Amino acid sequence: MTRLRAEGLTLGYDDRPIVRDLDVSVLDGKVTAIVGANACGKSTLLRGLARLLAPRAGTVLLDGKSVSDLSTLDVAKVLGLLPQSPVAPDGITVADLVSRGRYPHQGWFRRWTESDHDAVARALEATGTADLMDRPLRQLSGGQRQRVWVAMALAQDTDLLLLDEPTTFLDIAHQVDLLRLLRKLNADAGKTIVVVLHDLNLACRFCDHIIAMADGAIVAEGPPTEVVTATLVEKVFGLTCVVVPDPVAGTPMVVPAED
Amino acid sequence: MTTTAVALRATRRSRSLRSVTVTAALAAAAFALFVFTMMAGSMRLTAGEVIGSVLYLRDDPSVDFVVRGLRLPTAATACAVGLALGASGTIFQQLLRNPLASPDFVGITWGASLAAVTGIVVLQVGGLAVSGLALGGALLAAILMYLLAWRDGVSGYRFILIGIGVAVFFEGLIGYMLTRAHLFEARQAMHWMTGSVGQANGDELRLLVLALIVLLPLAMLLQRQLRALELGDDAARALGTRTEASRAALLAVAVTLVALAVAAAGPIVFVALVAGPIANRLLGPAGGGIPAAALAGAVLMLTADLVAVHLMPTPLPTGVVTGAVGAPYLLWLLATTNRQGAGG
Ligand SMILES: Nc1ncnc2c1ncn2[C@@H]1O[C@H](COP(=O)(O)OP(=O)(O)OP(=O)(O)O)[C@@H](O)[C@H]1O
Ligand SMILES: [Mg+2]
Repeated sequence: MTRLRAEGLTLGYDDRPIVRDLDVSVLDGKVTAIVGANACGKSTLLRGLARLLAPRAGTVLLDGKSVSDLSTLDVAKVLGLLPQSPVAPDGITVADLVSRGRYPHQGWFRRWTESDHDAVARALEATGTADLMDRPLRQLSGGQRQRVWVAMALAQDTDLLLLDEPTTFLDIAHQVDLLRLLRKLNADAGKTIVVVLHDLNLACRFCDHIIAMADGAIVAEGPPTEVVTATLVEKVFGLTCVVVPDPVAGTPMVVPAED
Repeated sequence: MTTTAVALRATRRSRSLRSVTVTAALAAAAFALFVFTMMAGSMRLTAGEVIGSVLYLRDDPSVDFVVRGLRLPTAATACAVGLALGASGTIFQQLLRNPLASPDFVGITWGASLAAVTGIVVLQVGGLAVSGLALGGALLAAILMYLLAWRDGVSGYRFILIGIGVAVFFEGLIGYMLTRAHLFEARQAMHWMTGSVGQANGDELRLLVLALIVLLPLAMLLQRQLRALELGDDAARALGTRTEASRAALLAVAVTLVALAVAAAGPIVFVALVAGPIANRLLGPAGGGIPAAALAGAVLMLTADLVAVHLMPTPLPTGVVTGAVGAPYLLWLLATTNRQGAGG
């Protein structure tokens, strides 16, 4: 049984449907990557799954119940989402921003408890941002900022975590660090993770399951070795390439062909 | 327990200490000014006499006449209007994520004024009817702003420009109303338009105080939602905020407070704009607190009233003083936000 799935999901903005009649099940306890060309509807799908966008048709089911019937707070305790371009208030410090991830666990009157502090501290340490704690976010580099946002999502401490392009702005080492962190969260705490990635090689290397999207629909899904082939890359991205095994892990590695 | 957790706890403790200290100091300053305003004047009184009279602890007809009859209504209006403008201003600025987005800059104040002036000169009403009209006008302006600008996102100068446009439009209509008025009503309306705390009618003041008693605690409860909304709609919703409902509630609180303040004292400019930033300066990294901003508003209004009535050769309307202090701040704000690129 999967905790999060969508049935016949149609999502869109104004009059334009973007995602049409889509069925998807998020595998419990796995790390799933969503890949696809720009504007194919990855962020839209994630927003729909996290009930940030109301479906035009179909339903999103969380633990067997339609998310539109659940209270937003109850959903936020189980399902976290890091949006693609979040905005930070002026002058906010790193610790304050990460602390806001505790929102769904606090009530109208009950504010800060030990478990809140511990969750924030763990999130800061896991993302290597503990040293930056008292710095204003505005003064950080793009990559540091990105890690702080990831820390905020981690502080929410949900069983399911959806991340929209968490590796943008990160250098190669930090990209790998972040994906290792996601793997570790998955291994240690059994978290189910869905992450939108643009780097196919990293997606293949670090994720258990790949969902490839084109034009608002899922064109292929499965383990990286089955899904990522030269034909699929051609179909999804319009790129002719050669797929070879990664010399370290043996997972598929995409190498662009000569033009 | 890790060192990070220890450091976090210490930071949080020093933050809340600072926030409590600043808020308490502002409250003490507002209280002192409130009492002092009632001591000053042609009949000098001691703090004891003023407090005794306000609390009905003594019986001295001449003091009671001056304090309860003349000075208390003015001081209470200044205080209440300041609280309302301070709270309303900071809510608008945080919701719209822009230091320029106070209700006097996004047209709300002028919508309320237009409706109130129309009531005064055309319908010749006073008291609660003026409050009601101001509320209606403010809501209308808020809806207009929403339709013109908000739907497409709230960031940047576009919103402020539309707000200024709406404000100018309403001011034009107010000017038209004045030309249509008879001399007596026109003078009354002109005086009202400059903004003065000495003119409030008892009903308008009572309604404003009642609104503050209900809405300030509500605003403090909604502070949590406001802090989530600051992160943008997607992040706020992902954290479990009901964004539409929270925003509507915060806007309703802010619009009501500013409308009732306008009904009581006319369109006092700049207090709503500067109260929040002043409070934030004092609060440092713990900024954004609505109570501190409200109290800063009260301190500003009481000070402006003291200056306007007692330090000037001839007493001036309060709005003239707040305008004279606020305009340079606005220029500074425009210059610096432009440099930082924070305004949009
Ligand atoms: N708020 C919005 N209002 C209207 N249209 C939108 C909105 N957000 C996205 N779209 C449109 O929906 C389509 C899919 O956008 P989406 O953000 O889901 O793409 P994506 O796959 O995440 O792309 P990217 O890789 O660039 O992040 C695009 O055509 C985009 O223009
Ligand atoms: Mg996207």
